[in-house]
Amino acid sequence: MKSLTLRNVSKTYFDPYAGAHVTAVSDASLAVGQGEFVSIVGPSGCGKTTILNMIAGFIPVSSGEILLNDQPVKGPGPERGVVFQSFALFPWKTVLENVGFGPKMRGLPKAECDKIAREYLALAGLADAAERYPNELSGGMQQRVGVVRALANNPEVLLMDEPFASVDAQTRMTLQEELTRIWQERRPTIIFITHDVSEAVFLADRVIVLSKGRVLKELAVPLPRPRVWDRLIEDSAFKALSGQVLQLVRSA
Amino acid sequence: MGNESQQSCRPAAAPAAAVAAQARFPRIVAAAQFVAPLLFLLLLWELVVRAFGVSPRIFPDVEAVARAGWETIQDGTLVRHIGASLGRVAVGTVLAIAISIPLGVAMGLSPVVSSFLTPLFRFFSVLAGIAWIPIATLWFGYGFGAITFVIFNAVFFVVAYNTLLGVARIPMPLRQAAAALGAGGWSMLTQVILPGALPNIVTGVRTGLGFAWRGLIAAEMIATNVGLGYMLFLARDFYRTEVIVFGMIVIGILWLLIDRLLLAPLERATIERWGLVDRA
Amino acid sequence: MTPLLKAWSLYVRWTARFPAVRSIVPFIPVVALWAIVAASGLFPPVFLPGPADVVRSFGSLVYKGILPDYLQDSVVRLAVGAAAGMALGIPLGVLVGLNARARNMLWPILLFFQAIGDIAWLPILLIWFGFSLTTMTFVIVYTVLFPVVLNTALGVRSVPVELHRAARSLGASRARVVWEVVLPGALPNIMTGLRNGLGFGWRALIATEIIVGTSGIGFLMFDARRAGSVVEILLGMIVLGLLWYVVDGWILAPIERATGQRWGLVTQ
Repeated sequence: MKSLTLRNVSKTYFDPYAGAHVTAVSDASLAVGQGEFVSIVGPSGCGKTTILNMIAGFIPVSSGEILLNDQPVKGPGPERGVVFQSFALFPWKTVLENVGFGPKMRGLPKAECDKIAREYLALAGLADAAERYPNELSGGMQQRVGVVRALANNPEVLLMDEPFASVDAQTRMTLQEELTRIWQERRPTIIFITHDVSEAVFLADRVIVLSKGRVLKELAVPLPRPRVWDRLIEDSAFKALSGQVLQLVRSA
Repeated sequence: MGNESQQSCRPAAAPAAAVAAQARFPRIVAAAQFVAPLLFLLLLWELVVRAFGVSPRIFPDVEAVARAGWETIQDGTLVRHIGASLGRVAVGTVLAIAISIPLGVAMGLSPVVSSFLTPLFRFFSVLAGIAWIPIATLWFGYGFGAITFVIFNAVFFVVAYNTLLGVARIPMPLRQAAAALGAGGWSMLTQVILPGALPNIVTGVRTGLGFAWRGLIAAEMIATNVGLGYMLFLARDFYRTEVIVFGMIVIGILWLLIDRLLLAPLERATIERWGLVDRA
Repeated sequence: MTPLLKAWSLYVRWTARFPAVRSIVPFIPVVALWAIVAASGLFPPVFLPGPADVVRSFGSLVYKGILPDYLQDSVVRLAVGAAAGMALGIPLGVLVGLNARARNMLWPILLFFQAIGDIAWLPILLIWFGFSLTTMTFVIVYTVLFPVVLNTALGVRSVPVELHRAARSLGASRARVVWEVVLPGALPNIMTGLRNGLGFGWRALIATEIIVGTSGIGFLMFDARRAGSVVEILLGMIVLGLLWYVVDGWILAPIERATGQRWGLVTQ
């Protein structure tokens, strides 16, 4: 069952410094099944964030089309949740209000929003932080809030733009394991952008390698779940796959 | 900034009794600590005036100022002057805020528009207030119109400029996050744009009112026949230093009240809890 | 490529090479609009002259030597006042910042005198010193003083205790610590204070020149107001705006940024 489809999507924009049009993404086609976990990996400037921004509806496509359940994507919407590298938590709202923001936008009453928010905070082990403000939390906790805020809106697709790039290495591993756990429980469709090869392989069912705005290669990741670093770090299949992806990225 | 520094910087070796009193009546002790130096200053003033036999035409003694103050209170002139001054400030400020914030928000939303307009608003906020007195008196004549215009103008450009900056500085991912969570135009405005720009807006209002207050006093000296500035300037004609000094004290107290009771708490309540201090 | 994109591209590239373009170009439509409104005859020319009139009056006032003289008077007054304000304000700020007893004693007094505001001093200063340079200098020093003191104190207190301890344990005397550690650490705040102080001081200068005036840009404007010459008032406003724009944008702000950013002290 296909959930999200990109058909010959291209993005060009005008660069006033160069005085010319620049191609960020050219002719990318992609199909993501419902409940699938896909990583998109590539060097910086390969167009991976541009693709994510187009799926999120933050920027329009120049040509081609993006379909979600056969409906073309027009602008941002709650059926596509986004998790940002910079967390993008509202500093003037408490953790509870941040997580309850999506339900509030759907017009649910306050009590209902709070109930949903508390439920999702408990999912990420953040129940005690509900009344705190984002700047009072560590980076790792802030991004947990960012993830459950997107999930609390019950999106069909979760778009994650290098969400763990700005937390320390220990926390990153924990967050990655937690994400796979939550994904197994709830089964949202996830598109995960990263430049970290082992992260891409660890998380996903399928890794898409991007280069210079084009899809270079797609690789299935048949590793068993649940995945934990203690086991995978020495796993030969994981090492082989990571090595293969790394070579593709470096050659790109 | 005044309050917190008083609290955190008491002498380390305070007597035990003082510490106990402080624990029991923290506000009273803090107030006493604030007032004590001012009372000391009052004493010093009286001593100096007496010891050197300063002429009342140069500087009045404490009693004369108190008497002059009491007279202006009794015959109602003080109330009239304060009423006129505060009325002008209120009208000019409220009008300016009501227009400048929506305008600043509208201009700040697009990065291209806001970066283009920033120098313009910088220029006019640099001119804001006093520099407009000559032309304001020419356009509106001496009186309420000219003075209110000067105040309007001092607040308007500073607040509009700060709002513009505040909105333009909201990180794009915050707006994108709200849009992806389903926020429409109105929610975007009330939940993201306004709270995000609020620290800058509050700072702008505080700065603008500071300019407006000075502009008010200056304009009242030049262009009217009622108001605190006029009261001072009139007293100068008759060498009534006791009225002048009393008026200065009133001006000081009024501004302290406006700034400490109205503006500073607002700034603290919004900015510090959100951890946005270093941005503003 | 459409002409619009071409124009935009040109603008972006020029502003990248000459950042001053960014602060000049936005004024072109404003001046154009002003010229159109003035020429339309919507307001009588006595009320609202056009840009060309102002340029002409600029030419004639420069030719007569009045404008350069007045400008020099204003700038010198401001510079003298700022220098005196800093000479008084920085030591006072260091004292208030370092010594808790001095702070408890002086802080309320400082807040109160700051609240009185420079211009409210004018009537009594006029009684003391008459319409003289002393009056003007007093007002400007007074205005510059408080922001410098308050910000210096803030900066002094923001220097981490470890730095004091490090310097002391490396053998620095208390006085040396002030010179080597406290002042450099407080420098960004001192610059902020100076910038704020000059912003207020400059307004105070105009007010004083209007009221006390015998020369200066403020006097030029008010003299023109008495003669009903809107052209010269507008000219005065533009000169003032440009002057401050240049001083603040091209001198003070870069110094403030340079001290803070170079050392990574500014968290902006």
